[in-house]
Amino acid sequence: MKVLMFTWEFPPLIAGGLGMACYGMVRSLLGLGIKVDLVLPTKELVYFPLREPDDVDKLPAVFLDPQKHTEYISHKFLNIEERLDYIGVTVRPETYLQMGELEQFVKAIKKESQRELISQEEREIWEELTAHLMGEEDLFKKVQEFTLRAERFARELDFDLIHAHDWLTYPAGMLARSISGKPLVVHIHATEYDRAGGPGNPRVHRIERAGMMYADRVIAVSQYTAQRVMSHYRIDTAKISIVHNAFSLSDEYHRTKKRIFKGPTILFLGRITLQKGPDYFLEMASKVHKVHPEAHFIMAGTGDMARELLYKSAAKKLGNKFLFTGFLNRKQVEDILRASDIFVLPSVSEPFGISPLEAMAFGVTAIISKQSGVSEVVNHAFKIDYWDVDLMAETVNHLIENPELCQKIGLEGMEEVNKIHWNDSAEKIRQIYSSTLSEYLKSNP
Amino acid sequence: MLYVIFYFQVHQPYRLRHLNVLDIGKGLDYFDEHLNSQIMRKVTEKCYLPTNKILLDLIKKYEGRFKVAFSLTGTAIEQMKAYSPEALDSFKELVDTGNVELLGETYYHSLSFLFDTNDFLDQVAMHRDLMKSEFGYYPETFRNTELIYQDSLSDLIYEIEGFHTILTEGVDRILQWRSPLYAYKNYAKTINLLLKYYQLADDIAFRFSDRDWPEYPLTVDKFVNWIDHLTLSEKENRNLFLNLFMDYETFGEHQWAETGIFDFMQHFPEEILKRPHLGFANPKEAYKLANYQQEALSFPEPVSWADVERDLSAWLSNDMQRNAIETLYNLINLIRQKGDEKLMEVAHKLSTSDHFYYMCTKYFQDGDVHKYFSPYDSPDQAYIYYMNALADLEERLQ
Repeated sequence: MKVLMFTWEFPPLIAGGLGMACYGMVRSLLGLGIKVDLVLPTKELVYFPLREPDDVDKLPAVFLDPQKHTEYISHKFLNIEERLDYIGVTVRPETYLQMGELEQFVKAIKKESQRELISQEEREIWEELTAHLMGEEDLFKKVQEFTLRAERFARELDFDLIHAHDWLTYPAGMLARSISGKPLVVHIHATEYDRAGGPGNPRVHRIERAGMMYADRVIAVSQYTAQRVMSHYRIDTAKISIVHNAFSLSDEYHRTKKRIFKGPTILFLGRITLQKGPDYFLEMASKVHKVHPEAHFIMAGTGDMARELLYKSAAKKLGNKFLFTGFLNRKQVEDILRASDIFVLPSVSEPFGISPLEAMAFGVTAIISKQSGVSEVVNHAFKIDYWDVDLMAETVNHLIENPELCQKIGLEGMEEVNKIHWNDSAEKIRQIYSSTLSEYLKSNP
Repeated sequence: MLYVIFYFQVHQPYRLRHLNVLDIGKGLDYFDEHLNSQIMRKVTEKCYLPTNKILLDLIKKYEGRFKVAFSLTGTAIEQMKAYSPEALDSFKELVDTGNVELLGETYYHSLSFLFDTNDFLDQVAMHRDLMKSEFGYYPETFRNTELIYQDSLSDLIYEIEGFHTILTEGVDRILQWRSPLYAYKNYAKTINLLLKYYQLADDIAFRFSDRDWPEYPLTVDKFVNWIDHLTLSEKENRNLFLNLFMDYETFGEHQWAETGIFDFMQHFPEEILKRPHLGFANPKEAYKLANYQQEALSFPEPVSWADVERDLSAWLSNDMQRNAIETLYNLINLIRQKGDEKLMEVAHKLSTSDHFYYMCTKYFQDGDVHKYFSPYDSPDQAYIYYMNALADLEERLQ
């Protein structure tokens, strides 16, 4: 089986959890013998034919333009970074700056929506998509460009099924499905509701809905997300499957404790943005600080609320006990986990949330928001409503005051998450692929 | 007579390196030695050596009729010793002429007066010792960091043997109708006060090369004429003091050599001394030259020479600055209780006011000045590195 996969993030191209989820998932899918042609928002028009599990690290690339591919093959690269730089895989997806031609985009989409034999329903989906994908903003332009390219991939590559991750790649997946006639699976890692902590950008919402409507199957990363897809997007329950995420750690990790501070260390790890509830973490810290001034709070990550949190933490007079790391690479993330005792995920809405699993793998005791998908898969963690800052603070205080208990729960959590593997998630995805394909073959004999 | 009193501030902070949370506990030096040495070398070449040479020649040429005062911080002298000893030697040569006054201040150019009286007195004593050991000099005039002054400072300085005069800013809201040209007394009439004449001092320090300034270019003739006019207001033959206080780095660093700042300084004394009713004096001489009853001035709230507000807002107007400085003085207190001299030295280097200046977020008119002087990308970064240093320091204390 061969899958044409569209995603916006894949290591080293990472902004959040999506990249790490795709990485773990694809690696295990390859282990099951599924071939993946991966398309990323690269500067050059390339795809990544992944065949062996190790290919997720090597990222072999093929240029669609044969002449460019010949040049690429003959080019000598000192290391993978240099090679990826040639292809235009920037370290952070935001810097992807290849702008699309709006006119061309509309033409491509129009061509699809004006085919004969198209149903009224399908026509409406396309019209809605076109209307909401219009715009001059950087991100929308990038999505347009990405979508345009999908046409060539769909025509020139050979595949059985299309898999698209999150709204940025849904239009590409839809176009590929329309051109190739192959079934489309869309994967919901997060919806606009989760990211915005409310309705968010209505255009994104419409694009998400168009993708889910048009898809043959929808995979949600949790029950929590599936509920949201049903209630907020009115997607047919029968189309939705739930596949929980797992996690992967780099090979050379050491999970032994390596403290930074002698006192208790409490960690927030994630984008400093509304969805992740950093302000609830600060409120909790401020309450704990009054009882345990020896405790250190680390806010690891970057995000649009970083400055606000910095100023607020200073105003709360937490002294040198509330610290900011800025952006951390994988190695640094592991170092910060080794130095932590308690991990808090106060997300307002977390479709899944891989980071608590990573923290638990390091024996760090986790406190996770009830409003998260990850709370469905772990038992040895405290589950608290993100807004219940008092209970969160009491729990942290209790753990600080009972270090043996904290350690015990941390170890139990470690044992628990060690049983969570991407292979199990990949197997579920393989089954979804199979049933989608057989349904498709039945209706397209 | 009108006496021009020049006082130049010579200061360099220990700038912090970009400390990350993950650096904590690794025993790293907090200070960016590479950057600090680079800046010291640069300022030595562009300012200290050429300006000292000019001043030395002028002092020799006018045989005691031209004089200047310096305040050199402990952190500047330490870094001169480490990175450009020839700069320190040239200051010593100047002091040896006998026409150069050295002022007293806090060794670390700190805000300790506002937060920790014990630490303030310690730092003043350290600085006195330094002046004695390096220059064999006993300061009689005090200037607090950034000319920060309020009534209670004069009480503290009065208690320290040897000081009889304090320099501060001629702030309009204190002076009101009075002129900064007179010598004043503090509120208790125990100490003499000399007030910076900020309009003219800042003409040299800030506006000298500003092409948008209507008076550009500032020539010696023009400037001395302005000074001459100041004497017209005095009808009773009382001696006046024109206090031109500024950062020494004005010469060659803030105002580059190309602006003509060195030529200006070279020819300024000649024009002044041509006129019999104009001359130069050092701050310590002023109270003897004041041939009148000095009026007492009260400063109930702190003033400074920084920014348009001339208050403490350059260092203490946002939550980051306040949290950082309060945390520092809590730590200094703990370190003092423990008596750990090594950690105290590090904490003291962190007490330099510049660290809080870099965290300033008043980004209108003065923001540019703050940005010019900051080694970091933003006030946020300055705060993050600083708090990481304080977190590490506290770990080392435990």
